[in-house]
Amino acid sequence: MKILIVEDEPSLRELMYKTLLQERYVVETAGTYLEASLKITDYSYDCILLDIMLPDGNGLKLLDDLKKQHKQESVIIISAKDSIDDKVSGLELGADDYLPKPFHLAELNARIKSVMRRRWGNGDMSIQLGNIRIEPDSFRVFIAGKEIELLKKEYDILLYFMNRPNHLIDKAALAEAVWGDHIDQSDNFYFVYAQVKNLRQQLKKAGADVEIRSIYGFGYKIVICNNESTGKQ
Amino acid sequence: MKLIYRILIRLSVVLLLILSGWAVFFYYTMVEEINDEVDDALEDYSETIVLRALAGRELPSANDGTNNTYQIHEITKEEADSYPSIHYYDAEIYIQEKKETEPARILRTIFANNEGRYFLLEVSTPSFEKEDLRGAVASWIVFLYATLLVTLLIVCAWVFYRSLKPLYTLLHWLDGYLPGKPIAPLQNKTTISEFRRLNDAAQRAAKRSELAFNQQKQFIGNASHELQTPLAVCTNRIEWLLDNTDLTEEQMAELFKTKHTLNYIIRLNKSLLFLSRIDNRQFTESCPIEINNLVKRLLDDYKEIFCYNGLIVSLEESGTFTLIMNEALAEALISNLVKNAFIHNKENGYIHITLKEQSFVIANTGTDFPLDSEHIFDRFYQGSRKEESTGLGLAIADAICKQYQLHLSYEYRKGEHLFSLSK
Repeated sequence: MKILIVEDEPSLRELMYKTLLQERYVVETAGTYLEASLKITDYSYDCILLDIMLPDGNGLKLLDDLKKQHKQESVIIISAKDSIDDKVSGLELGADDYLPKPFHLAELNARIKSVMRRRWGNGDMSIQLGNIRIEPDSFRVFIAGKEIELLKKEYDILLYFMNRPNHLIDKAALAEAVWGDHIDQSDNFYFVYAQVKNLRQQLKKAGADVEIRSIYGFGYKIVICNNESTGKQ
Repeated sequence: MKLIYRILIRLSVVLLLILSGWAVFFYYTMVEEINDEVDDALEDYSETIVLRALAGRELPSANDGTNNTYQIHEITKEEADSYPSIHYYDAEIYIQEKKETEPARILRTIFANNEGRYFLLEVSTPSFEKEDLRGAVASWIVFLYATLLVTLLIVCAWVFYRSLKPLYTLLHWLDGYLPGKPIAPLQNKTTISEFRRLNDAAQRAAKRSELAFNQQKQFIGNASHELQTPLAVCTNRIEWLLDNTDLTEEQMAELFKTKHTLNYIIRLNKSLLFLSRIDNRQFTESCPIEINNLVKRLLDDYKEIFCYNGLIVSLEESGTFTLIMNEALAEALISNLVKNAFIHNKENGYIHITLKEQSFVIANTGTDFPLDSEHIFDRFYQGSRKEESTGLGLAIADAICKQYQLHLSYEYRKGEHLFSLSK
């Protein structure tokens, strides 16, 4: 899978590059509009991460260029301008998603995966991890082929975990993603513990072979258990 | 006060003063003129009498049908010296034919005959009633004043509105101007050079403010970009460290603390941007919002997040409170007020929300003393310093209320902090 990062800030570019490399993508970078426009003309990519404020031009123009060249790249706009106008005009010009800065790297990964699923999934949007399968279009969860019922918040948390397997998930970031901006002044994450606890019980009852691990009380990590550890539980 | 009222009031006052002054002047001038004429007649009459008396001829009869009367007394030389030789004065005299007292003008004069005897002659003629004259002058002045005033005001108002029409067109145009919205063309044709200059100046000012507004918007966008990107880099580096390296619990704890501080800065930055967007009126689309539904939805979330220390939340609805405003702003306004009540509460406290057709009131327990109501809506004001709190929530709520001319007030009543929002 080949990804082009168009971002003018070298530090962020390097960090995104490092992260995506770890996810085993083939990653190219461009720091200016000119560089990016040369690259998209000469090569083709599966996904382009596009910062729209570039020193030598508006990133939105690259979307136009892509359209003119009849290219089919998926584009995720990454913008520091969290303005609705940019979002609307970006999506109208054919971008697939819009991610405002500052974002979590885990969020970036999840968005790329989601865009890729849409691109390559042939209509199958489901997310699979171990024996858990989620169909995000219909909000249905299957464990070992059997559908289980989850409450809305439990479903949201599970979806968030499933999109970020094997990564450390900060409970503050999880709370923000599931509960929205309202949590921003809570100094107590009891509500997250409570919901995760419920979710764990539901998964265990249904015989899921994935486990939500707590990492020192700072966050969680979802991993597929091997048979021995499932046996121990 | 409208300009026309100010002008009319001033005109009326000035007119009243001028007419009153003029009435007094008119009255005295007229009295003097009449006295002058009467005095001349009296002088002629007294001369006739004196001449006849000196010549020893028969004096005119006292009753000649003119109501003129005279009296002659003989006086001593000393008395004659003490009187002025000619003296006019007004007095009431009794007229026998009419059998009534009337005001009269009297001339008193002294003359001596050949024998050196002195005589005092008093001739009098009935004059006009000064009271009557004064009354007549006064009532005519009042009538004149009223007529003049009405005429003047009507003419003045007509002339005023006719000549100032371009000014009102311009004012109407200025009222319709909002920074950030496209400037409507100003159709205000006039041949008056002052108004033409005013039109030009207003249009230039609008264009300048449009330019400044756009520059400011651009600046905010740029500032946001400049800050957001390094902030993204910082948090992302920490995330990368946490996710990809083997760390001890202590190291992780430090990194998480740093990350939370960074999150705080990110939130602060976002809130400041939001506040400046509100102040710049960048949220323009509005639709009717049912506050009741919004409150219920927010309460569900907040109860789950904040109700870990025995907080009791109650909601009382006696009507549907609907506001016509921007959806994002309505949510920001209500969520900031509701969140505020949750965050600044105390253990085992309560929150009570009252929704009526015209108002939304949220009461909560908290500190046992009133907050500074002068500064409570200021940016970064915090009654009790709360970590993680940006101190911008109420400032945002206040800025939103200002945009829609809503009333937001704070009150402390018997241990309760009350925030009321009304149309």
